[in-house]
Amino acid sequence: MQASRARLFKEYKEVQREKSADPDIQLICDDSNIFKWTALIKGPSETPFEGGVFQLAFSIPEQYPLLPPQVRFLTKIFHPNVHFKTGEICLDILKNAWSPAWTLQSVCRAIIALMAHPEPDSPLNCDSGNLLRSGDIRGYQSMARMYTRLAAMPKKG
Amino acid sequence: MVTHAEDVSPTASSSELEQEDDDDDCYLSDQEDDALEESVLQVLEDERDEDCHWSSTSVITKESLLAAQREDLRKVMELLGLREHHARTLLIHYRWDVERIFELLDQKGRDRLFSEAGIPLQPANNAGSPSSTEVTCNVCYDDVPHSDASKMDCGHNYCNECWTGYFIVKINEGQSRRIKCMAPKCNTICDEAIVRKLVNAKRPDIAERFERFLLESYIEDNDTVKWCPSTPHCGNAIRVKGDIHCEVECTCGRQFCFNCSSEAHSPCSCLMWELWIKKCRDESETVNWITVNTKPCPKCHKPVEKNGGCNLVACICGQAFCWLCGGATGRDHTWSSISGHSCGRFTEDQSKKTEQARRNLYRYMHYHNRYKAHTDSLKQEAKLKGDIQGKISISENKDSKIKDYSWVINGLNRLFRSRRVLSYSYPFAFYMFGDEIFKDEMTPDERELKQNLFEDQQQQLEFNVERLSGFLEREFQNFTDDEVMDTMKHVINLSTVVDRLCKQMYQCIENDLLYPLRTPHNIAPYKSKGLDRASELNVYWDSSEQGLQSMKCSQDEHKSQPGFSGSSILGKQPLGSSSNNNGRPPKRERNDAHGGAALFDLNVPAEVADKI
Repeated sequence: MQASRARLFKEYKEVQREKSADPDIQLICDDSNIFKWTALIKGPSETPFEGGVFQLAFSIPEQYPLLPPQVRFLTKIFHPNVHFKTGEICLDILKNAWSPAWTLQSVCRAIIALMAHPEPDSPLNCDSGNLLRSGDIRGYQSMARMYTRLAAMPKKG
Repeated sequence: MVTHAEDVSPTASSSELEQEDDDDDCYLSDQEDDALEESVLQVLEDERDEDCHWSSTSVITKESLLAAQREDLRKVMELLGLREHHARTLLIHYRWDVERIFELLDQKGRDRLFSEAGIPLQPANNAGSPSSTEVTCNVCYDDVPHSDASKMDCGHNYCNECWTGYFIVKINEGQSRRIKCMAPKCNTICDEAIVRKLVNAKRPDIAERFERFLLESYIEDNDTVKWCPSTPHCGNAIRVKGDIHCEVECTCGRQFCFNCSSEAHSPCSCLMWELWIKKCRDESETVNWITVNTKPCPKCHKPVEKNGGCNLVACICGQAFCWLCGGATGRDHTWSSISGHSCGRFTEDQSKKTEQARRNLYRYMHYHNRYKAHTDSLKQEAKLKGDIQGKISISENKDSKIKDYSWVINGLNRLFRSRRVLSYSYPFAFYMFGDEIFKDEMTPDERELKQNLFEDQQQQLEFNVERLSGFLEREFQNFTDDEVMDTMKHVINLSTVVDRLCKQMYQCIENDLLYPLRTPHNIAPYKSKGLDRASELNVYWDSSEQGLQSMKCSQDEHKSQPGFSGSSILGKQPLGSSSNNNGRPPKRERNDAHGGAALFDLNVPAEVADKI
């Protein structure tokens, strides 16, 4: 418990210090609870998520970093590896490929990479996965872009 | 479990197959006049060590567990020039199949063999390490002195505090046998000596568990060793060399089928028996839950629960598989490589099914009634034991020429064994000539022919078993000497006949019914004298191994293992000797000795008799 607090505190300081190092990721720690974080990540360019800002919720176990944080999308997203309703993410490093040397920052980076390179064969969102598997890239992209506009972009007017 | 039938490692069995042929038991004579002599022969035969079979079994107790795996470890260490913990890692990864390791060494080469198992190719040398006295641990981001950090074989260095916490988490997760380095994407398995040292300093209880998990890998990650399924557990495991399709008796008295760990069920195959039991028994809630919520891993066969995520599930043993169809998949899947999965397709014709179901039910009732009739008879006859004991003692005190009544007990044992075979032959027939397993294996004509062949044998056996039962129920204590002689003659004769018929039925099943099938289907061989009793493990210490042992001992100092420190002094003292040496627990008392107390025939399938 103490170890996880110390480590999270160090990560917090690191985040404060290098705030501008990675403009795509903004990590915010809950004011009252160091085990709750949120992140804002920018949709990677040349993907249907470009221009969107997606909010992630981190729930960190007491045994962190020995156990992985639980991460889910708060912003609705149409992506094969993200559950459409719950925002649960299927990503190996958040499950059995977790290493204690990963950080919250690197997890965000991995999620951005996943957004750019979906894995349609391990879908949590079957509709999205099926579009990609059947080769309907255009269909997938337009759906994803629509949801990005609806959910991840500031409302116009 | 269903897949176990195919799971026989071909390498393990092939080498042992050249054991003695299952020679014809010499007392199987057709001439009735010889019957008396034959019975004497049979007794002698019974006492002879039963070694005329294809597989040999031995008991591994808690105490001999380390000794049992030493041979395999030594082979791998010597031939591959590995240190002990690397050899263990390799053996765990390849399920203790030494021959397969050497086979793969040829096919894949040393480098791939090692890296797949998580052994670093060349040990990291410390020469390049910076001269600074502190290292930054990349997990807690603290700077710690060199002495407080540990470097794995792969070269990754973290502070002891973090390692310890990590090891404890992994051990608690049940991952003791495959704790990987903490570095991202590093596949190296952690050095067990470091794990042991660090965890022991903080949580000796968990270190002990780690130790046990490592040792028990030899049982749990090994196709040729199985836990004895006794409850409460006797603590033993059984190792089989040769054909793993066999039935065995542990020193605790528990009899079971080695391949599937359920009660001995030949001539049913394991698959048949599993299906049969499922059909007969109302599935318990637990079984229900497991079937609904888990799928067996295609590699290690343990039930795997899906705890979230997509349908590509990874077992803790590392095998990935498709949750929908249960088939093994690669971890690195692409669109095309997994697209061959046609799982989830439903093609059955509904109306055809209902009609079929009615016919199936009728058929099942037919076989189940007969199966149950025989298990019930078996239960009834189990009561005979007591009666007969009484009759014998009356007869022995009688003023009569006949003093030897061992023929009654022999006959009774024969009756139990053959009754058991007979009852299990019904579920066998149910599946052998049904559509469930062998639908496309036989043409209808072929099937009818084979069914007639089998049922003839079954009928003969049934007839003679009933006759034997009838003679054994006679009130021979009130008979005249002549009548007793007559009964004795019949009992002995029928025993011989029944034994021969059982043997013939097994031969018919193995050679005429199962052998021609395209998919191999194996049953445990017939044992005229009942099940094999597993022998105590006989391990001879080689003086060249002393180095190893002392190494192990120094690592295990916290555990009291007097055997190994003792044996390194004793040198070539064979561990198997029953005298009170340090290396061996006192021999367990077997509740039934071979001869006199044979009345307690353990062949009665208690579970079956009680539950069905």
